[in-house]
Amino acid sequence: MDPTADLSALEPGQLSADTRKPLPRRKLSRGVVALLVLLRIYVLIAVPLVVYAFVHALGGS
Amino acid sequence: MSDVSLLRHDDAARAPAPEPEREDRLRAADRLRVAKARASGGRARLLWLLCGPGLLVMLGENDGPSMVSYATTGATYGVGFFAPFILLTFAMAFVVQEMTVRLGVATHRGHAQLIFQRFGPFWGYFAMADLVIGNLLTLVTEFIAIQAGGLYFGCPPWASVGMGALVVFASLAFRRYAAWERALMALALGNLLFVPAALFAHPDGAALARALATWGPLPPTMGGAFLTLVLANVGATVTPWMVFFQQSAVVDKGLTRADLPQGRLDTALGAIVAAIAAIATLVAASPLFSAHADVSQFASGADFATALQPLIGKAGASLFALGIVEAGLLAAMTIAASSSYAFAEVASARHSLNLDFRSGKLFFAVAIMSTLIAGGVVLIPGAPLLAMTLTVNVIATLLMAPALLLLLLLANDREIMGGLANSRLDNLAGGVIVIAISVIGALYGVITVFPDWLGK
Repeated sequence: MDPTADLSALEPGQLSADTRKPLPRRKLSRGVVALLVLLRIYVLIAVPLVVYAFVHALGGS
Repeated sequence: MSDVSLLRHDDAARAPAPEPEREDRLRAADRLRVAKARASGGRARLLWLLCGPGLLVMLGENDGPSMVSYATTGATYGVGFFAPFILLTFAMAFVVQEMTVRLGVATHRGHAQLIFQRFGPFWGYFAMADLVIGNLLTLVTEFIAIQAGGLYFGCPPWASVGMGALVVFASLAFRRYAAWERALMALALGNLLFVPAALFAHPDGAALARALATWGPLPPTMGGAFLTLVLANVGATVTPWMVFFQQSAVVDKGLTRADLPQGRLDTALGAIVAAIAAIATLVAASPLFSAHADVSQFASGADFATALQPLIGKAGASLFALGIVEAGLLAAMTIAASSSYAFAEVASARHSLNLDFRSGKLFFAVAIMSTLIAGGVVLIPGAPLLAMTLTVNVIATLLMAPALLLLLLLANDREIMGGLANSRLDNLAGGVIVIAISVIGALYGVITVFPDWLGK
């Protein structure tokens, strides 16, 4: 490691302390909210399919 | 004003830091090298310093199971339609991955971290759990590839899996992103072992050129088996871990907005080299198509190497088997890192390959534990490896839709992206590809669960 490394070579947001500061939650439009709701429904269908696939494959192996 | 001076800014504007952190000092040293190269006008040197994440993500996705998919395709349908199709899938992968480069340079935050902070805990924990579980199962398949390739050379499973795990641990021991990245890039060159293997198959250059130009000859029947291979080839090129890995690697490397052209070039180069290796695998396995070999019962890359030996010779088959080991090993290293980044980002823990072990306990523990578990599972006699391999496909493809839609939403988030947010053209190209990959992924997942749905 170079002990004389100049931290000014980094952009302000690049410092690890800066990246640990959380960003605010995004204000979601109605369209995005609707999309995320649909995505949750998709996930609710997809996750049991994954579990079924694993159990089914276990039976076949 | 020089580029070096552009990077400097008023220190007084920063919160005072009593002791610069190791992670920051190492990244700053890398950035100074980049600034000097940019100031001196050396384009090749600048590209060399800035490339890495794109090459690694694309060649990392050419993993053990993907190479088996390409080999199965070549052995089942020959070169025809699938050579240009593979090029198309890598072009799609480029469009998706380019968004992660922009997100990384604009926000200096990892993908899991952004999802958690911008969309809340549900999507943050979901993305992390989906990725870490999917990656763990994928790691199992990588160690299966390493074990299978080793078996071809007479290496016992415990030795090849043990050596694979040791290589993963050794790369983490650098505790230095730049060294880790360069070591992996050297290993990634091994992906091109499939090119000489393909040459041993004495391919018809004119037929390959014709295939690339005309997308033909098309297979005589395009039933369920054909569609399944089309979907498998898409699944072999674009997967959720790539999105998370490249954004985190771009951030860890310290790329900035000024580096975006090189970041894009790095991604494009990665896509081109990976496409060459993938098409070479297709070509190397195509003698099995000419010989009407039945590959439906082949379980690993080693089966292909063994079957190819009488057709492309011992040297060609050995290169093929070695390529499978390399593919599994490189993917194990990138995927383990991807899990570490995502887990630590969502857990608000330190996350960088520049950390020392004490500061990055959780970060390194995730990579080490997932490697140990995956390697250990492969060595358990009677472990349900086939079930895990099938489940990996289902997780990766079914859950591609949420990963890509969240990526598209983030790339359109002007509050964090500013001028780097998706343009209309980006959204048109990205949107079409995201919808196509999501539908294809969901379809492939359903076909994997219900294999008789489409018929034969």
